Amino acid sequence: MVYRPPFIKQGDGSRCQWTNCNCAAHAMAAMRHRLGVDPHNEHGWPPKPAEIRNRLGACGGTNLPENDLAVQHLYGVNMVVRYNVPMADFRSLIISGRGAVVPIWYGVIAPTKYDASPGFTGGHGIYVNERRSSDGAYLVYDPMADHRRASIPQGPQWWPASLLQKAAERYPGTRAGCVHCSLTKDTEP
Amino acid sequence: MPVKDQQKPPPKTTAPIEDHKRHADEFLANEKYKVRPATLNERNDEAKP
Repeated sequence: MVYRPPFIKQGDGSRCQWTNCNCAAHAMAAMRHRLGVDPHNEHGWPPKPAEIRNRLGACGGTNLPENDLAVQHLYGVNMVVRYNVPMADFRSLIISGRGAVVPIWYGVIAPTKYDASPGFTGGHGIYVNERRSSDGAYLVYDPMADHRRASIPQGPQWWPASLLQKAAERYPGTRAGCVHCSLTKDTEP
Repeated sequence: MPVKDQQKPPPKTTAPIEDHKRHADEFLANEKYKVRPATLNERNDEAKP
């Protein structure tokens, strides 16, 4: 069974919490990359969105490369950033044993039961851990899905592949049928 | 004359895991997908509490 990192929410009370989606997604990806093993360096463990944010600086949106550099420095996790990856190849990368941070457009998620931030329709970052072979769904860790209200989902959710693709390809600057992603190493034998 | 993309198609979902691993390694070595699109504004927005 694929290693599943613990869910890490972005709304943790720290500064910049509501722009920390990429930081929280990368914290979960770092856990997957290291299979939960502490690198025993001078930085904290387990990974925290606030620690990644502190490495990046001021509040505001963040991108894949800068988060990659932050988790590399803090946790020794060297992720692989790729752009406009065709969905069929992305599927193969996940099946092969990698997790991925994926930027999505939340306006696609807002009308669905997976909406974890009512009223929000902008750019967002999620962590994808694995794919289920029975129906092709992806196990998505949405850093906003913390059940802070009864209507908000809690923790990882199985998203239909079609929904993930639609949300990812709607991200501005993305080709149809493609995703941008930051991948963990292959952790599966 | 434009250079054709020589990338192999990904294996079918029912393919052995080794096929996916091999394809993934080949895919990640492809320079084409390392190039950040010029039009990409890759910054997330502020979510609603």
